[in-house]
Amino acid sequence: MIEFFLDGVPMQAEEGQTVIQAARANGVDIPHFCWHPELSVPGNCRICMVEIEHDGTDPWFDISCNMPVTAGLKVLLNSELAKKIRKDTMAFITLNHPVDCGICNKSGECTLQDYHYEHNGAASLSRDPKTHATKFFPLSDRIMLDNERCIMCTLCVRFTHEVSKSHALGAVNRGDHTLIRPAEDANFNADQYSDNVIDLCPVGALLSRDLLDHSRVWYLQPTASVCPGCERGCSIDIWHRKHEWKLTALDPRMNASIDRVTPRENPAVNGLWVCNKARDLAHLFERPRAEQAMQRGAAVELSEGIAAAARLIATSRNPVALVSSWGSNEELAAFHAAFAQRLRAFVKVDHTPQPGEVLEDHLLIKPDKNPNRRGALALFPALPDDVAQALTPDTDLVLVWGEGFDGALIPDGARVIRLDAFAHDQNAGADVFIPVSLQTERSGHYTNFDGVVTAFSACFPLKPSIAHAESVFASIIAALWLTADAASVQLT
Amino acid sequence: MSDTVLTTAPLSGTKFFMNFPITATSHSLADYKARGGYQALEKALREMQPAEVTKEVSAAGLLGHGGAAFPAGRKWGVVKLGDGEPHYVCMNADEGEPGTFKDRWLLEHVPHLCLEGLIIGSYALQGRHAFIYIRGEFDLSHRRMADAIEEAYDAGLLGENILGTGYSCDVVLYRGAGSYVCGEASAMLASLEGKKGWPRNRPPRLTVKGLYQKPTVVNNVETLANVPVIISRGAVEFKKVGTPKSPGTQMISISGHIARPGVYEVEYGYPWQKFIYDDCGGMQGGATLKCIIPGGVSTKLLSAKEMEPLTLDHNSALAGGSQLGSGGMIVIADGTCMVRLAQVIQRFYHHESCGQCTPCREGMGWMERILNRIVAGGGRPEDIDRLYQISTANDGTTICSLGDSAGYACSAILDHYREEFEYFITHKRSMYDGRLVVDDPFSGTLATTGARA
Repeated sequence: MIEFFLDGVPMQAEEGQTVIQAARANGVDIPHFCWHPELSVPGNCRICMVEIEHDGTDPWFDISCNMPVTAGLKVLLNSELAKKIRKDTMAFITLNHPVDCGICNKSGECTLQDYHYEHNGAASLSRDPKTHATKFFPLSDRIMLDNERCIMCTLCVRFTHEVSKSHALGAVNRGDHTLIRPAEDANFNADQYSDNVIDLCPVGALLSRDLLDHSRVWYLQPTASVCPGCERGCSIDIWHRKHEWKLTALDPRMNASIDRVTPRENPAVNGLWVCNKARDLAHLFERPRAEQAMQRGAAVELSEGIAAAARLIATSRNPVALVSSWGSNEELAAFHAAFAQRLRAFVKVDHTPQPGEVLEDHLLIKPDKNPNRRGALALFPALPDDVAQALTPDTDLVLVWGEGFDGALIPDGARVIRLDAFAHDQNAGADVFIPVSLQTERSGHYTNFDGVVTAFSACFPLKPSIAHAESVFASIIAALWLTADAASVQLT
Repeated sequence: MSDTVLTTAPLSGTKFFMNFPITATSHSLADYKARGGYQALEKALREMQPAEVTKEVSAAGLLGHGGAAFPAGRKWGVVKLGDGEPHYVCMNADEGEPGTFKDRWLLEHVPHLCLEGLIIGSYALQGRHAFIYIRGEFDLSHRRMADAIEEAYDAGLLGENILGTGYSCDVVLYRGAGSYVCGEASAMLASLEGKKGWPRNRPPRLTVKGLYQKPTVVNNVETLANVPVIISRGAVEFKKVGTPKSPGTQMISISGHIARPGVYEVEYGYPWQKFIYDDCGGMQGGATLKCIIPGGVSTKLLSAKEMEPLTLDHNSALAGGSQLGSGGMIVIADGTCMVRLAQVIQRFYHHESCGQCTPCREGMGWMERILNRIVAGGGRPEDIDRLYQISTANDGTTICSLGDSAGYACSAILDHYREEFEYFITHKRSMYDGRLVVDDPFSGTLATTGARA
């Protein structure tokens, strides 16, 4: 460890750390636009400039992101000179930036906006018109670029070169007419991690076309969650409308919709990034929901459906259960506690890769597109490829929990209980259908392919006609107790 | 006045480069060898160890001729021989500083001397490959250098086992694409690597991590051309030329309102006054000297009075408040509008700012817009302070030194000729209207040139 001083305060740094890293490790955030802990150091924004106290007469200042800490280094972050340089740099940065926070989607979470208030705050010194550049440049099908707001920090360019490896972005032209543009020989649309550049962008230059003009960020709140898109189980934040900003006049569904998804830092799983599939969780979750319990297609009360399911289980001789690989560890444990002795249970694959979907890559994407198969397989065996081995002809009851199982594979004459969150045609064909909650409506944990357990929390309230799978299992087991054959129910 | 021009004695002093008559074939290998060419290479390869070459260059006190005047030997000495890494030597022939065109002369007329210097330098650093980054606009220079390389390969002076000594070196000739900033060493290496020509932050220095992240020495054409001279003459002899602190000669390219513009080789320490008024024939049309930009537009200009006591060497120029830079001298006559001069210079910097780091990217355009507005008659009194403020905010805060120099150029003009700016802002017109007061050689009466109405 090396000791250095930041504004006179002694701090410890590790060998090889730069001043900005060491200060950060000590809880001091030196202002920066272009620096990022996971990316290379271009040192182009110049806002992290610090003064160094030394014996010479000439002032010594340099960028802290590229300055190695040396023993006894006296860094001044808040000296008059350092403050002046920051103010001047902010004046340069905002010179041609439109400062149109009022209509900018980034407003409220914009680094430039924060720094402007913190380090400059003055009106523009320039009397001349700002330079103009392309507005609304479609960088890809997902991302809109506003070149006037761009401050050329090149975070997005470096991200595509160093993290996503698509090499899809670059800078063209020189000077104050430099523009970020897609590389001619690369396809930014094919970059599975492209949306990360939206989060990286310290200004409102790179904008999600999905969220563009959709909502101000201060109306939204993040809820910690886990992406169910594949077995990686990346930690994410699901952004949805704050309760206090609930819409009363417009479509009430907007109060319970996923507005955007951003990565939540988790070094053990996904680091700082997520892929575009996680960004599109809304498409995955906001499909038509199953909201009504049914008995052979006829709507019944939820409690009635649960009772009917219990009767079916109680009367069956050779029941089989197909367990969802999207169930949380808690649900799987509840299922195991309730039915392990009574049903032959197998873990089924709920989701298989869609046509054209990337199976696996160098960074995050894994081939199994279910979030908790590992957690489920810890309790139950996998469903064999030859389904007939599990669903033997003498099977007289099949409990299907979750999506992705074709009803045609169920032996003739077997009764069917289905639990699903989404509306499917085969729901009505089941003898009993019970609608269950979605990941965004409950809390729980998933175990990823690596064995790392991550938690997710509920974002939205549950409708009364829908039940949590966990409570459905508990209710069924309670109902079994109450039915005539209570003695045959084995306590586990 | 015109008589004095004709009777001026030719430039005296030692010549390292301009010491032969230029003919149609004087640049060829045969002619170069006849003048004693490639003997230094033979000497270095056969009689000297690599470290001895570096030692000799250090002992000669050879200064970089690209503008910063950093001792070449010290730069070479940083590269550790035998560290297991490949080393590279790059010849920086991307001569783009306005007012500087000395390297062009060297590349066109003594390409083999430059090449010899490069090979010796490469030998001193034990590089297997050497690079020449040549300015894209230099057509003849490029052809001459390409021919020279071909001739050298044919004569066994390049490639495998040079002159049977066991040392091998290949030279890569690379043409730039017209960017000023690629003359900055780290931007040049980025461009060589096939990337956008953006300068890089130091540390690490290029001698630690340069081209392809390997130790690299980037030297100006003239610096490398001096190397064979040092090797063949010996450091002691070399030091006898010039001044103790600036040994050797400097190629000066002089342009502007001067009677005989062109490239001159002068010994360091040559009196400035004598150089301009005697050797270069004095001012064009007998005009009065207003000021001089001593070493390319990036150096601070000096007024006629400031220039008077100075000699042509780095220390003297520094003492005078400027730099000798790359020896690209621009002579400016009385009657030149300094506001417009600042505008032209700033237009250049705005156009050539690479756009990487904030102060230069935004500041250059800002300064140009302010100057454009002043010239268009829309100047405001606060503009002068604003120009100063931008220059100061640029100073030392940019990645490469081009940002600083742009500020120096403007602030030096403001320091000297603030009243012209004030005049322009108040009267919405130039103090001079762009007319030079000269002695018209045809009529013998005072007349104006330039905007001849």
